[in-house]
Amino acid sequence: MTESKSSDIFTFPKWTWILRPAVAVALVGGLVYVSVFVYLAFSPKATDVGYAPIQPVPYSHALHVGQLGLDCRYCHTGVEIAAHAAVPPTQTCMNCHAKVRGESEKLIPVRESFATGLPVPWIRIHDLPDYVYFDHSAHVRRGVGCVSCHGRVDTMEVVYQAEPLSMAWCLDCHRNPERHLRPVEFVTRLDWVPGEDQEVLGARLREEHDINPKETCYTCHR
Amino acid sequence: MSTSAPAAYPLDNTFDDPTRRAPLVVGDNDFHSITEKVCGIVEMPRTPPAWWIAFFISVSLTGVLFAMIGYLITTGVGVWGLQVPVAWGWAIVNFVFWVGIGHAGTLISAILFLLRQKWRTSINRFAEGMTIFAVVCAGIFPGIHIGRVWVAYWLFPIPNQMAMWPQFRSPLLWDVFAVGTYATVSLLFWYMGMIPDLATIRDRAKSKLRWFIYGVLSLGWRSSNRHWHRFEMAYLLLAALATPLVLSVHSVVSFDFAVSIIPGWHTTIFPPYFVAGAIFSGFAMVVTLVIPTRKFFHLEEIITARHLENMAKIMLATGMMVGLAYSTEFFIAWYSGNAYEAFTFLNRAFGPYAWAYWIMVTCNVLVPQLFWSKRLRTNIAVLWVASILINVGMWFERFVIVVTSLSRDFLPSSWGYYRPTLVDILTFVGSFGLFMTLFLLFVRFLPIVGMAEVKGVMPQAHLRDVAVQGHGDYHGDILTERGEVKA
Amino acid sequence: MKPEREMKYWRSLDELARTPEFVEAVAREFPTDEWDRLPPATRRQFLKVMGASLALAGLTSCRWPEEEIVPFARRPEGRTPGVPEQYATAMELGGSTLGLLVTSVDGRPIKNEGNPLHPDSLGALPATAQADLLQLYDPDRSRRLVERRGDQEFVRSWDDFAAWTAERFAGDGRGAAILAEPSSSPTMARLRRRFTETFPAARWVEYQPISRDAERDGLAFAYGRPLRAVPHLDRARVVACFDADPLFEHPASTRLARHFAESRQPSRERMSRLWVAEPAFSITGGRADHRAAVPASAVPAVLARVARELVAVHGLALPEAAVNLEAAFGAAAADGNGFVTELAADLAAHRGTSLILVGPGQAPEVHALAAVLNHGLGAVGSTLGYTEVTDPDRPSHVRAIAELAAAMTAGEVETLLVLGGNPVYDAPADLGFAELLVGVPHSAHLSLYDDETSRRCGWHLPRAHGLESWGDGRAWDGTLSFQQPLIQPLYDGRSALEVLATVVGDGDAGGHGLVRETALESFGAVDFDNAWKRALHDGVVAGTELPVVEPELDGSALARAGAGLGALVAAEPPSAVKPELVLIPDRKVHDGRWANNAWQQELPDAVTKVTWDNVLQVAPPTARELGFAEGDVVTVSARGASVELPVSIVPGQAAHTLTAALGYGRTAAGSVGNGVGGDAYRLRTSDSPWLVPEVAVTATGRSLAMATTQDHFAIDAMGFGARLDRIPILIREASLEHFLADPEVFHHMVHHPPLKSLWQDREYPGEQWGMAVDLNACTGCNACVVACQAENNVPVVGREGVVRQREMHWIRVDRYFKTEPGVGPMEVDQAEMVFQPMTCVQCENAPCEQVCPVAATQHTEDGINAMAYNRCVGTRYCSNNCPFKVRRFNFFNYHKNLSEVAKLQFNPEVTVRSRGVMEKCTYCIQRIQKVRIEARNGNRPIRDGEIVPACAQTCPARAITFGDLNDPTSEASKLREDKRAYATLAELNIRPRTQYLARLSNRVGEPAVPEGGHGAHHGGDDDHGKEAS
Repeated sequence: MTESKSSDIFTFPKWTWILRPAVAVALVGGLVYVSVFVYLAFSPKATDVGYAPIQPVPYSHALHVGQLGLDCRYCHTGVEIAAHAAVPPTQTCMNCHAKVRGESEKLIPVRESFATGLPVPWIRIHDLPDYVYFDHSAHVRRGVGCVSCHGRVDTMEVVYQAEPLSMAWCLDCHRNPERHLRPVEFVTRLDWVPGEDQEVLGARLREEHDINPKETCYTCHR
Repeated sequence: MSTSAPAAYPLDNTFDDPTRRAPLVVGDNDFHSITEKVCGIVEMPRTPPAWWIAFFISVSLTGVLFAMIGYLITTGVGVWGLQVPVAWGWAIVNFVFWVGIGHAGTLISAILFLLRQKWRTSINRFAEGMTIFAVVCAGIFPGIHIGRVWVAYWLFPIPNQMAMWPQFRSPLLWDVFAVGTYATVSLLFWYMGMIPDLATIRDRAKSKLRWFIYGVLSLGWRSSNRHWHRFEMAYLLLAALATPLVLSVHSVVSFDFAVSIIPGWHTTIFPPYFVAGAIFSGFAMVVTLVIPTRKFFHLEEIITARHLENMAKIMLATGMMVGLAYSTEFFIAWYSGNAYEAFTFLNRAFGPYAWAYWIMVTCNVLVPQLFWSKRLRTNIAVLWVASILINVGMWFERFVIVVTSLSRDFLPSSWGYYRPTLVDILTFVGSFGLFMTLFLLFVRFLPIVGMAEVKGVMPQAHLRDVAVQGHGDYHGDILTERGEVKA
Repeated sequence: MKPEREMKYWRSLDELARTPEFVEAVAREFPTDEWDRLPPATRRQFLKVMGASLALAGLTSCRWPEEEIVPFARRPEGRTPGVPEQYATAMELGGSTLGLLVTSVDGRPIKNEGNPLHPDSLGALPATAQADLLQLYDPDRSRRLVERRGDQEFVRSWDDFAAWTAERFAGDGRGAAILAEPSSSPTMARLRRRFTETFPAARWVEYQPISRDAERDGLAFAYGRPLRAVPHLDRARVVACFDADPLFEHPASTRLARHFAESRQPSRERMSRLWVAEPAFSITGGRADHRAAVPASAVPAVLARVARELVAVHGLALPEAAVNLEAAFGAAAADGNGFVTELAADLAAHRGTSLILVGPGQAPEVHALAAVLNHGLGAVGSTLGYTEVTDPDRPSHVRAIAELAAAMTAGEVETLLVLGGNPVYDAPADLGFAELLVGVPHSAHLSLYDDETSRRCGWHLPRAHGLESWGDGRAWDGTLSFQQPLIQPLYDGRSALEVLATVVGDGDAGGHGLVRETALESFGAVDFDNAWKRALHDGVVAGTELPVVEPELDGSALARAGAGLGALVAAEPPSAVKPELVLIPDRKVHDGRWANNAWQQELPDAVTKVTWDNVLQVAPPTARELGFAEGDVVTVSARGASVELPVSIVPGQAAHTLTAALGYGRTAAGSVGNGVGGDAYRLRTSDSPWLVPEVAVTATGRSLAMATTQDHFAIDAMGFGARLDRIPILIREASLEHFLADPEVFHHMVHHPPLKSLWQDREYPGEQWGMAVDLNACTGCNACVVACQAENNVPVVGREGVVRQREMHWIRVDRYFKTEPGVGPMEVDQAEMVFQPMTCVQCENAPCEQVCPVAATQHTEDGINAMAYNRCVGTRYCSNNCPFKVRRFNFFNYHKNLSEVAKLQFNPEVTVRSRGVMEKCTYCIQRIQKVRIEARNGNRPIRDGEIVPACAQTCPARAITFGDLNDPTSEASKLREDKRAYATLAELNIRPRTQYLARLSNRVGEPAVPEGGHGAHHGGDDDHGKEAS
């Protein structure tokens, strides 16, 4: 019952050859699948880097910060004292725009808001993963520059997300804060560059202010 | 000695005459008849109605299983009777139960193979199949019992943007690897062993489709000497690889309990105790399934009474081990002088769950004692009922361990009483449906007896040896038509 | 009714812009009230900020949802988004106020805490006052004025109502009546004066079911005029309570519990002794050194015997005026009751530092006797202060409503305005108030809910919640406090003050105006604004307590008391055939007002541990006599009325005395409270409101699975025995003398071999958080449980959930009954009740951490067993491996059916857990983080006591202390060094961060070393709980 149908009993019979393409497809397909999977998982598409929604008011940070040199804290007043940096109330805009460009069409929503008392519904850009409790003051007061997480906002016509804001990204900095520490007076200076090697400076500042970022769960999750 | 033909081929090979070696295949069988008998099942022109009925029931139960799982996942673990303190219930009990069942196969095929127990050949395929299906059922439960099934993949070490790894100190993680490995190796072992027989079916195939399917499955087996040589070498290696796994899987499963601090769980006796129990329940399940099967497909001559008797003996032995474990637990509870430990065991035997405990003792310790009597252990009906009782008992053993220990631990204020819900029960019943479905497909479409191996232990395979010089492994006399023994 | 269907809620502003609420909000941009002096949380901003907070909270679960940030158009002064603020306010209950400090986040009040400046709060609050917050967001609250004509309903406006009042309250007010809740509010008093002046012929009636009128009338017997008694437990060395529960059932219970705890210091000089004679276990009874379980009807006799003993044996000279009483108590049969003789001796030995308290359930005559004894023992002026009452002329509440009922029967009442309360439900049953009310042609009811009374009135008026309205009131000692709103009324409700003002034609003043006017009268115009601001800021006005008076006994009044007392003393004790039923205010829903409060319903009763039900408490032997088992539903009937209740067998209950709580069996409470429990008011009559003699109890044959958080099933003898063996180890207790003789006594209670860990011990530098729980202070009052629930967004699982043992409370106040060893469960007649608040003890060597396969629970640098909810996959292995079983699992999504408005209560600093996730106490990690960040921002160390977990913050007895164990000067680390400190289950080498301080008893004549007590000798390598921890 085991007599051979094929001339060469040591090779697979012809009819099995139809399987070869299948095998090939499986191999190639698998390879493609894995690479695509990895690409998607780690691409900005997944982490949302570059997310730049259209805002109700075409507010230009490049103009206000880059050119006019407004300090971040003029609008984001909570950044040093609270968890939320806080998007400014319409009032803040009107402080200047009551006089400047009073009639500009771009500012219609702002003026409406000021009149009706209804807020301007800004679109959130820097959206941390759910269940994360991030505190601006804790970072800014230690000399972590705005630029470290928000990028060169002073050059952005339309603000976009500059960093992945993923857990691994957070941990990376919590593990080696030296790379992002600067003298506290320069935290809002987006274009500031250290006079010396950042690692050296960072290490020194870390020593001075005894900065030991925690990595345990509840540092961010409650 | 009778002269009438049928009587000339006595089916009973359970005699204890040390001068005669009992044949492993009885009746007037040669290689061809074996092939006919086994392949016959697969090649039946029409599937018997009984099979259809059984299959229909099993498939419906499987449907119930998946319905319950769907309900569970969409609603929450609360659909089960779980609570605090008893946060593990039937799901874990079933998991341990099925993993236990899944032990006989690999034990028979690997350990008995290494121990040169030739009688394994008639039942090993069958047992291996059962093992695979049991492990499939077992695998379902840890998966669905967690609160958030959709993130179950966190249990595997996959690189991720959270920079998080699983915690390797947790026995649950060890389970993931242990059961995973065991399932893989068992599957390989089972399939590899089947290749020659699949080839046989291929070669006997009448229809093109059949020929193609079995052809693909048999991976171009030609049964050339070289094939056989490599096959046997690989089989030996796999057996060697599988053997430690038989012991490791259930040891690791037992760590889920042994590593914790709960009185009744926290004990060093668990690994051997669990392994013994697993083999015990495994063989019980083999017997439960093999008895109706051999009857239905007329395989009495291949899966002989002696096979059943041997398994009964193993059940007796392992049953005693389990019994020893039970008593040891009580002794230690007293000897350790630990008040909590002591109470836990008194509570098992006389507390709110005493009924479960005594069911367990009756089925696992008392019932096997029947097998001391040759009359009883060779009585098919008794054997079958006993094996079922043992399965029941082994399920209750896991229930007792998991539930009673949790229901009353350290602080009386947190004591509780666990009751299963309908969903618990249906899920368990459903898992039997899945098991039987797979099993029925197996007996219908795959060779349930390792033909090649059986033939290997038939006297015909050794005529030459006999002629030359009776070497060490001589497998029973060939009964001639006159019932005399050829010399 | 399903209000959340009716009303649409918003998630974000653009959605909001389309809702009617918004249009309304704009219309009311500048509300009538003057909000100028308040950090404004007007409805408008509230709506906006709510949008913001929901958007910021990122409640949606989509992967990359487009979220909006909706800032203020004009941000209020000094408001930083997301930063919580606290405002002082007050809440009134039973004619006395409690001071609150309410936390508000972005305009949403989220937590009630006690106002430290308030004499009756002292920074703490009872569970009820904390849970009251939930009622603010109750979707079942009524949202509109309804006028009912027959079975027709018409939606009305406040102007319609004003027109109605103008019509109904006219001329001299003949035929008009107002039924109000008693109030300590000066503004209410002022308006009431206005009312009686304007409508001289109109009736003014005050009623509430739960009052201390017996005490008031008793003092009237003793002193000829009603007085208010202010006990000072801090000055007392010997306190004797007769059916009294000062530590819980008293307007000033928080202060009393605090002072009592302070009087239990472990030294002969500073350890007081508490004697209690009561029918059923009360919170105070649980703390007693000597406790006698006597039927309520026998309590007068016990007090009489004590009086006789004092006079006869200890030569207590009663004042002249009291001689009339001697006949009464002289008749008290002497018996060999050691309790009485020892108590009398103890009282006599501590003249001037002893105090006798009688409960509100006892007759005025008994109070009179107690007053006389206190007088004779020199308690008055030292341990007991008397003040005048603000409303000396009012009759007792029961009599007042009885008179009203009579007038209604006589048809003298044409118009009845009911300001709060729920008389249809809780008036004495024999008055048939419901039917009478229907008979009144014109009636209106002001209430938070469209409840039983509203349904029978012509008008229903939505009432503003306390946190929505202005008000003022007086503490038990008279201190003035102010109530200010934290939020504009959600449902357009109004306060009783405002409605009454409308009646007297001052409707436009508004709550703020009314209260301010009263204040102006009392403060005077000079520098008023500063005084007013300060008063609002502090919530109380210091130095406004009523003056203490030193009254003289009034012989003639006492003479009248004598007769009644004689009868009470001679009362027949109850028997198996004629058991008595004692009615008590429920410890959770009080008189029924919190029946629709899910937090209160799910709170386990301190004694029975039953949730979502009221039960019939029966002593084990009595239950055996009557043939009842735990959970049997029985019918209790008296005078034709009856109520069905499940039996709960409670040790320490007086024989043949049944106890049932009022406040259940509501029919129009709301979706939560309807039909929960049985309505015991049906058995309550005006002549004997607290005691129903000779009730008939018959089995219905049905049995109920009660939702208890402990003793989940009838305990078998073996389990009962094991439990008894473990109690002394878990809750360690010794007599004061024993402790003083052998300070190590508590560390010799458990022996175990030296503890070795499998893992390498880790270093703990920097702050190391730990907790000490003083079991000698804890009264088991449950305040911590509710505080934790409010702080940590702990879900409610409902009755079914608790029956299934899935309650979610992070704190479980374990209650055990200590009984004689060898006495079977059903034979127990004497018992002690002990408590142990049990929550995650933050083991340093935590069993839960080692078994989590995904590392969702991890140890932090500062020694906390942190729980990352969003990492948890829900294997529940940690719960199995937790020796304390303090982890809680979300078996379902318990927030799924929560209405949007109820979600406003959530604390944004804490994750709201979804299903399939394990959760547990984290020492209020959000509070720790807040303080740590503040401290680090200020480059300063964290001060001791700066971090206070919610439970410790609200503990009336200050039993919980939290702090840094690495700082030797911190309170927590000092307490850990205390000889009483021990770690529960330390023998498991889990090294709990929470340690307990053992209980001390102070019984008369307790030996220094009890026989059978364990000597200090044990094996050399033998180890103890203390060293192990």
